[in-house]
Parts: sequence; structure tokens; C-alpha cells
Amino acid sequence: MSAVQAVDLKRTFRTRTGLLRRTAKDVEAVRGVSFRIEPGELFGLLGPNGAGKTTTIKMLITLLLPTGGSASVLGHDVVDDVREVRRRIGYVFGGDRGLYERLSAYDNLRYFSELYGVAPREQKARIGELLELVGLTGRERERVEGYSRGMRQRLHIARGLLHDPAVLFLDEPSIGIDPVGARELRATIGLLKEQGKTVLLTTHYMFEADELCDRIAVIRSGEIVAEGTPTELKQRVPGGRVLEVETYGVPEATVASVGEVGGVRSVAMEERGQQQVLILQCEPDAEVTQGVLARLGGVRVGRVVSREPTLEDAYVELVTRA
Amino acid sequence: MTSLRIFFIGGLMSYRAMFGWLNPWILVPSLVVSPICQILLFAFIGRSAGVGDDEFYVIGNALNYAAIPCLFAMGATIGGEREGHTLGVVLTTPARRIPLFLGRALPVIVNGWGVAMVGVLAGVLLLDVHVPGPAWPTILLVVMVASASCTGLGLAMGAVALRVRETAVLGNVVFCVLLVFCGVNIAVADLPGWMGAVGGWLPMTHAIEAARLLADGSTLGDVGGLVLRELGVGALYTVAGLSLLRWFEDESRRKATLDRN
Repeated sequence: MSAVQAVDLKRTFRTRTGLLRRTAKDVEAVRGVSFRIEPGELFGLLGPNGAGKTTTIKMLITLLLPTGGSASVLGHDVVDDVREVRRRIGYVFGGDRGLYERLSAYDNLRYFSELYGVAPREQKARIGELLELVGLTGRERERVEGYSRGMRQRLHIARGLLHDPAVLFLDEPSIGIDPVGARELRATIGLLKEQGKTVLLTTHYMFEADELCDRIAVIRSGEIVAEGTPTELKQRVPGGRVLEVETYGVPEATVASVGEVGGVRSVAMEERGQQQVLILQCEPDAEVTQGVLARLGGVRVGRVVSREPTLEDAYVELVTRA
Repeated sequence: MTSLRIFFIGGLMSYRAMFGWLNPWILVPSLVVSPICQILLFAFIGRSAGVGDDEFYVIGNALNYAAIPCLFAMGATIGGEREGHTLGVVLTTPARRIPLFLGRALPVIVNGWGVAMVGVLAGVLLLDVHVPGPAWPTILLVVMVASASCTGLGLAMGAVALRVRETAVLGNVVFCVLLVFCGVNIAVADLPGWMGAVGGWLPMTHAIEAARLLADGSTLGDVGGLVLRELGVGALYTVAGLSLLRWFEDESRRKATLDRN
């Protein structure tokens, strides 16, 4: 039995505008997503903002009803067996919110222990173990409002693990955390994997997904466009190479025209301080540098680097492909 | 056992979590000075207009002010969770909803009772009000019933917080309705028939009448009918609140209403 299974999962939202003359519009957030996560597996769900990652997770954790398809967690249907699903899952999301600011970390964990039905005799020991696991021992009596973002995020994870769930949903847990905090968080997630937890992780950080995930699904516009191990996904950029061009003040129209150069499969732009780095996925043997520089015309250009594709390149290729 | 713990311990912790920001410098003026001011205002209006006596206004307004914690705290206990993004996490727990939300009402009832009793005591100390000694225990009980009944209405308001964010604004409107329709400053019998009829279906109305009778020397047996009616009205709003909570939670799953403004 799979730990998590989604079959042709769909979710459409109806939005209404206007006060007197109401007009309704249907938005398909998730359009038939299917995947399986095996017990003990760490599965990544990657995709750009608005791709449907959080909506998919919300359906799996019973916060939203699917408008089509089905899903189950450890054999329990997310629509019909709501309480059974809730007993078996932990849910952690990223960001500052979602904790009781005026309570201490310890009291936050105590309160959720009650809600998750952790036996009173076990609560103290369990909370102690989890504080140790997430590295908050000694700080547990402080109010959460004084915590750093990284500490809050680790407290979120401890909260999600209180009832020792078999399946954990981590929705962008490392968002906005500094590099040291993010590294500690990855170490914590790695420990969960060692403990045999099944984890569904969404993240925008490709190196994080590459380091942690056994398998990854890439979701774009509500549909899964690729699924496989990180290595398999990297191989999705077949024999290609990547050209990175540092530019300063490149207009959008010029970026689009660079994508039309022969041998260029796709182009994405990344802001790095004052620079805009163009990341070009290229055909294996194509000589594109001259053509690209010609299109850039009067734009100031810095370094031009050619390299092998990474998971991030595979991701960019997948989500920008028409 | 789990549900009992969620009701008592969870309710108290949730109350602390939502209202831990209230330090005494805010709490004392809002829950002590304000009701006393309201009592004094209406008592002196009554005196200068030559209608009613101090006791009428003290009991009416003291009980009416219990509505502030009962309505606003109950609304905030759910609305505040939504603002703090903890509601989604709470709703993904397997905790049974009735003890989860009713437990939050318990500290609110005690809070409302305390506010009302401070008002009554202030009236006795500052104005020309005499409550006979034997009446105090029964008045304490009736005020508790009023507070519980009003918290039922607060629960219904809190349920609405699952759908809309403006429960504080709604709380002001409801407080005003209670002030006018419940016989706080004008006896229900002196209100137009339709207003009196509306008042009969609102919390506080029967408890205010019962407390006035007790202060005038009636026994608990004499006002038993009024107390039972007050309890009935409170139970009605509590059931309505729990049903609304269930309905809005289901609707939030169907229509993603928790994510909307």
C-alpha cells in the first residue's frame, strides 16, 4: 500500500467579482494530478508559484475537497475518512505565521499535543524529544514572538511531529530562512527520513530538493510535467548544455528575442543584485554565443559561462517549456 | 478523556494564546473602567430625567457589559486564529470540534461574569443601590447564566469568523442591539411590542429581569422561569454556533473560504 496516492486529482475554484452584477470565473488550480509516494520515501513536489503545489497538499491534508479524482493517505480516503487521515499526518508550512506568538514554544507544543490526542503521560517526554530533535532545547520557555524565523520553522516541524505521524507534509518549510537555518532544517528533514517517515516536500530551492528527495514531480499550471529521481530529471536536458550570460539592465523584449536564437531551447532570467543573469538551455552542439551577444546589442554584458545542466536547469526547462 | 482534556485544558490554553497580549494596563481600563462609566452615565441620565432608580440601571448595564468579553472574545478566539494562520493547522488536527470550540467558551464565560460583577459591585459602592445579603448568591448565579447565554451568541459570531474577517465590527452592532432590545435601560414592557418580542429571543433579557427581581427581594424559585428561559436562549445560540461552525468548516473545504479575505 502506498503512503500517499493521488489519482487524477483536480481542484477548480470559482471566483466571483462585482457587487450587483456578479460574474463568476472558474480557475483550474490542479488539473488531474496523479502520483504515488511509497512508505519511507521523501517525495518532492516542485513548481513555480501558482502551479498548484499548495492546493494539492491542502487536498491531501483534508483542508480542501477535490473537485475531481481521488486521493488517499495510508489507504484512507481524504474525503470520506477525514479523521483517520488527520490522525496519521503532520502538516508544516513555511513562513512566520501559524504559531501562537504569545505562548512559549513549550506551551505551543502542549496545546497541540492535546489536539492531537497525545496521552498526558507521554506529552512531556515527547515534547522533550522533539525539542532536542529540532535544536530548541533550552529555549522552550521563551515566547515564540521572540524567535527567529529559523527557530519558528523548527518549532513548526516539532509541532507537526507531536503525534508521531507516519506521513509529513512540508510546504516550503525553508522559505525565507537564512543559509545556516536552512542547512539546519535540511539536517532535521534528513533525520526524519532516517526515522522512516514518509515526507512530501515542496520547495523552490533546487539544491534542497536534489539533496533530500528520493523522487521529484514537477508541476506546472496544475499538471505534472515530469516525475523521477533527481538524476533522471537532470537527464531530461538531453545532451544539452547551459549558457549563463551576465547582463545589466536587459529589457524584457531583448530576453524574449534571445530565446529565438537558433539552438536555444529556452531562456530564463534570474535577478542577482544589479545583474540579470540569462540562463539559456541550448542544443548540445549548437554554437549560440555569437548569436546571443548579437541580440543583446547595446546591453552591457559581464561574464559568459558554459556549464553542464543541474536539477535547477532541468526544472527551468520543464516549467518554461511551452 | 481526550475530549475532556481538550475542553478544559485546551480551552484555557487557547484563551491564553489568544489574549496573552492583554496586559493589566489595557485589561483594567477596558473591562473595569468602561463598564463603570456606562453604568454611571445611564444612572445619572435616569436621575436627571426622573425615571427609574439607580438599581435598575446598575443591574441592566453591568450585565449588558458582560457582552463585551462574551461577544468579542468568542469572536476573536476563532477570528484571531484565522489572522494568525493557526486556524488551518488547528483544523487539520483530529480533535473533536465540539469540545475544541466549547472549551474556548469556558474562560470567556468566567471573564464575562467577572466584568458584570465588578459593575454590580461598583454600583453598590458608588450609587444608591442596596442589594440584600441573601440575594447575592442567586445574583451571582444569574449573572453566570447571562454570561453563558451571551457566550452562546458569541460562539455563533465566532463561527461567522470562519467566513468573514470583520467579526469585531459585527460585535459592535450586536452589542448595540443588546443594549437597546434587552431591557438594559428601558424595561422590556415599555418597549414597542415588536422590540420586546425580539428582546425575548436575545441573551441577557431574561437574566437582567431576573437579577432585578432578586435585588428587589425575590427568591430563585420566583425567577426560575426567567432563568430557564435565559438558559434556553443561550442553548439555542450555542447549538446554532456549533452548527454554523460545522457548516462553515465544510464550506471552507468546498470553497476554500478560509483563504479568502
